Amino acid sequence: MLIEQSAYANRWRRVSPVAKGSFALAGLVAAFVAASPLAAGGVALLLALATCLAAGVPPGRYLRVAAPALAFLALSCLSLLFSLAADADGGLAWQWAPQALPRIATVATRALAALAALLLLVLTTPPPDLIALLRSCRVPEVLLDLMVLCYRMLFVFSAAVRDTLTAQAARLGHATVRGSLRSLGLLAASLTVQIWRRALALHRAALARNGDGPLRMLPAEFADAGRHTALAVVAGGALIAFAARGLQ
Amino acid sequence: MHIMEGFLPLGHAVGWSLASAPFVAWGVHSLRRGLRERPERRMLLGVAAAFSFVLSALKLPSVTGSCSHPTGVGLGALLFGPLAMVPVGLVVLLFQALLLAHGGLTTLGANLFSMAVVGPFVAAGVFRAARGIGLPLAGAVFLAACLGDLATYLTTSLQLAWAFPDPAGGFAASLAKFAGIFAITQLPLAVSEGLLTVLVVNALARFNAEELQDMPLFAGRGARA
Repeated sequence: MLIEQSAYANRWRRVSPVAKGSFALAGLVAAFVAASPLAAGGVALLLALATCLAAGVPPGRYLRVAAPALAFLALSCLSLLFSLAADADGGLAWQWAPQALPRIATVATRALAALAALLLLVLTTPPPDLIALLRSCRVPEVLLDLMVLCYRMLFVFSAAVRDTLTAQAARLGHATVRGSLRSLGLLAASLTVQIWRRALALHRAALARNGDGPLRMLPAEFADAGRHTALAVVAGGALIAFAARGLQ
Repeated sequence: MHIMEGFLPLGHAVGWSLASAPFVAWGVHSLRRGLRERPERRMLLGVAAAFSFVLSALKLPSVTGSCSHPTGVGLGALLFGPLAMVPVGLVVLLFQALLLAHGGLTTLGANLFSMAVVGPFVAAGVFRAARGIGLPLAGAVFLAACLGDLATYLTTSLQLAWAFPDPAGGFAASLAKFAGIFAITQLPLAVSEGLLTVLVVNALARFNAEELQDMPLFAGRGARA
């Protein structure tokens, strides 16, 4: 996963998740309080520059991660440019709606800025640190447990799916559409049975180690957490001020 | 489904989060109570969340600020009950935002409402109704998964139409536009998901019949299709 690779290998890896979370939150707020599309675009640019230049995420990887979301955004803005209205014959017809352009500009730049804030957080912070951050925000333990288990098993299942697809393809399981559907069904069914068995095995393994409560890990230590958080709060405040009063 | 980060106006993002909050609280409360009685379900739900993530990561773009993919909500609702799917759905959506930049944090409430509240409750309701009128298990499972999936996407269309009413035709025209565009990708996907869910339930009935009998919607109904 591209996001995971960046999250573990960037210059802000050892910066406190509280600081990065605060700055990303400020980015989200700035996206929504932006006074104009230009200001929201400026917020998006500043956040992207912070991620690539300050945190050292390679721009190529950044663009590859953002590409699907950007494609969705382009398509959705296109859909807002058309309107469904009654034509002269009383039927419904697609019509060009240029009056929607200002609203589209607002929505697109806001989504860009919010996406940049999300990417800043996820490309610099590995999920275990984010889970620790959520724990410090007093998210219910049962939800955190689900997150830890889900994160642990994601890679196991991704590998199982990849291996099974390779094995099915090697047996021409995906040579036709019908065969492909059948193979997908078999894959999902066998994976579901595997899930059940793995879950039971995990439960027994945990019980054998007296593990009948929440799954807790040692929290990571972050040097200068206070200073980084203070810096993030100041930078975040400046970003919000720029968005609210900036480029008109 | 999965409305992208920042796409909804602030009022809608906050409103949908508030609408989802009671279901999350209810789901977490129900999950805690369930886990006290059946602690082995904890691992199963965590593993099921990972499965749901892997399943829903297979996505197709759609022209509506959103995208289409198998949701897995029907299967989850049938196996664990609709309430358990709320916290599971929350975890899956959060990981999709954090690991794939798919969906988002500001749209988490809206996505949660369509995928983890409406979809599972519709699927469970359809399953009960279908079994109540005597449909065979395979037919009931197919209808539940298929209609649960469609309900999820219809809710997303409603959310988008409400947020972005058509300049000429208002909410109704916007709903027709979003639902129409979704239907192109979602109708075949809903049928595929229904068939896929039948295959999965058949496999479970064959290899894990005892465990299936312990699941809320299958209890005492005869799991074999």
